[in-house]
Amino acid sequence: MIEPFAVPFMGRALTEIALLALICGPVSVFVFVRRLSFVSDALTHTVFPGVVIGFVAGGIEGLFAGALVAGLLTAVVLTVLTRAARLTDDAATAVVLTAMFSIGVVLVSRRTSYTSDLTAFLFGRLLTVTPRQIAETAVLAAVILVALAIGARAWLFRAFDPAGAAAAGLRVGWLDLWLNVLLALVVVAAVRAVGTILVVALLVVPAAAARMITARPAVMALAGTGLVLVAGYAGLLLSWTASLRYGVALTSASAVVLMLVLAYLLLLPVRRWRDRSFAGGLT
Amino acid sequence: MATAALRLTGVSVGYQGRPVVTGVDLELRPGQRLALVGPNGAGKSTLIKAVLGLADILTGAATVLDQEPARARSHTGYVPQTGNLDPDFPVSVRQVVMMGRYRQLGWWRPARATDRQAVATALDRVGLTDRARDRFGLLSGGQRQRALLARAIVARPRLLLLDEPFNGVDAVSQDAIVRVLRELSADGTAIVLSTHDLTVARDLADLVCLVNGRQWAVGTPGETLTAGPLRQTYAHAALDLADGRMVLVEP
Repeated sequence: MIEPFAVPFMGRALTEIALLALICGPVSVFVFVRRLSFVSDALTHTVFPGVVIGFVAGGIEGLFAGALVAGLLTAVVLTVLTRAARLTDDAATAVVLTAMFSIGVVLVSRRTSYTSDLTAFLFGRLLTVTPRQIAETAVLAAVILVALAIGARAWLFRAFDPAGAAAAGLRVGWLDLWLNVLLALVVVAAVRAVGTILVVALLVVPAAAARMITARPAVMALAGTGLVLVAGYAGLLLSWTASLRYGVALTSASAVVLMLVLAYLLLLPVRRWRDRSFAGGLT
Repeated sequence: MATAALRLTGVSVGYQGRPVVTGVDLELRPGQRLALVGPNGAGKSTLIKAVLGLADILTGAATVLDQEPARARSHTGYVPQTGNLDPDFPVSVRQVVMMGRYRQLGWWRPARATDRQAVATALDRVGLTDRARDRFGLLSGGQRQRALLARAIVARPRLLLLDEPFNGVDAVSQDAIVRVLRELSADGTAIVLSTHDLTVARDLADLVCLVNGRQWAVGTPGETLTAGPLRQTYAHAALDLADGRMVLVEP
């Protein structure tokens, strides 16, 4: 069970997943309570033009910077549209998502030579994570965890009662921008490993699954982190075993996400049992 | 010590330049209780939000504890309508009340024993000590209102604003809320509440402000909760004052 992770590329993949688990568990709690699943999905798509431009400008090494700029730009535009233009979250998200993704597709269609590389970006390359990428993820994780520690209290208040939070003196617009930027950073940190299409699972499923077993935000964050860790380990092991023993090509990132979704499905009955036993209480 | 907890002089309030309530003139002293009375859509909530600095004051002058409304937020408490809150939100009653201490706690500082004691005291005051660990959404409408009242008073505000605190509230919770409001005003806290309930306004308030797009009357309950001003405020509704009761009925 541990032997496969003695192989360097498997060890690096597990390290990358562990770093992502540390940030995705707590961040997914805020995605859950703020109902930002669609925004998260949009961010995974809106980094696409940044990736293309980054690739054109700096090759594979330019992807990170391109995604980072596009993610931050999206976070700002989304916040401005919902606050200043008074669009609903859904409408603003749809506008930004389609606009940015279209730009990405246009850019890709201009040149065909890098289509294969960018296709890999859509589904991630967990097994080819380099020590440099792990270091970059670690730096982003540290920044995200510090931002979480500072903002968690205010975000929880704002998510529960926006009017009450504003009346208490919290700047709701800035809090929204701050959380959107944080989501963009998580997407950028995770997108190379699990791809733009699957990264949304890491932002949505952990808290949704953890909510089945607890209604305490802090415990949800810890449980979400644990779930990503377990799903990461099990998914990598499954991918390894399927490839080497049975000759089945199973993408490692897809296997990790499959394990995460499986955990969610397995926990569904627990929620029903808790609802009956405790009437949905916090116990 | 502020001479007036709230002073509105010729005030019009609204959003994006569009007035919702106009011509408001009133003064509330520390320890007084003011009821904003009017039909749905009269602008009561907007007026409360303007006092909190969350809606625009388009004309006139408004001061809260001798300061601009937005600058006085550290001394004001707010109890929103519970219907706007997500009942499935994963937060306990104790955590909701602790939110009232966030201003004192700031960004970093974890809750200390004094904060936890303040939360326990506030919960005890509204009679929810035994529900502290429960999820907020599990409470009844009246209990949720009491929890939000506890959240507001845990910060020891000098001006407390309540938006329709008796909507969908059972008699037990209404009695508990009224008792706490009376205690607070006896301690010098000024109170502003919006309500449809004329009986509550008459029994609880020192001052009543009748609003419906504009201020129609302000004064003591005896001066304002009478047939003339109420008919003006409620436009087409008729008023039945039989047996000392005040009931609004469709004409």
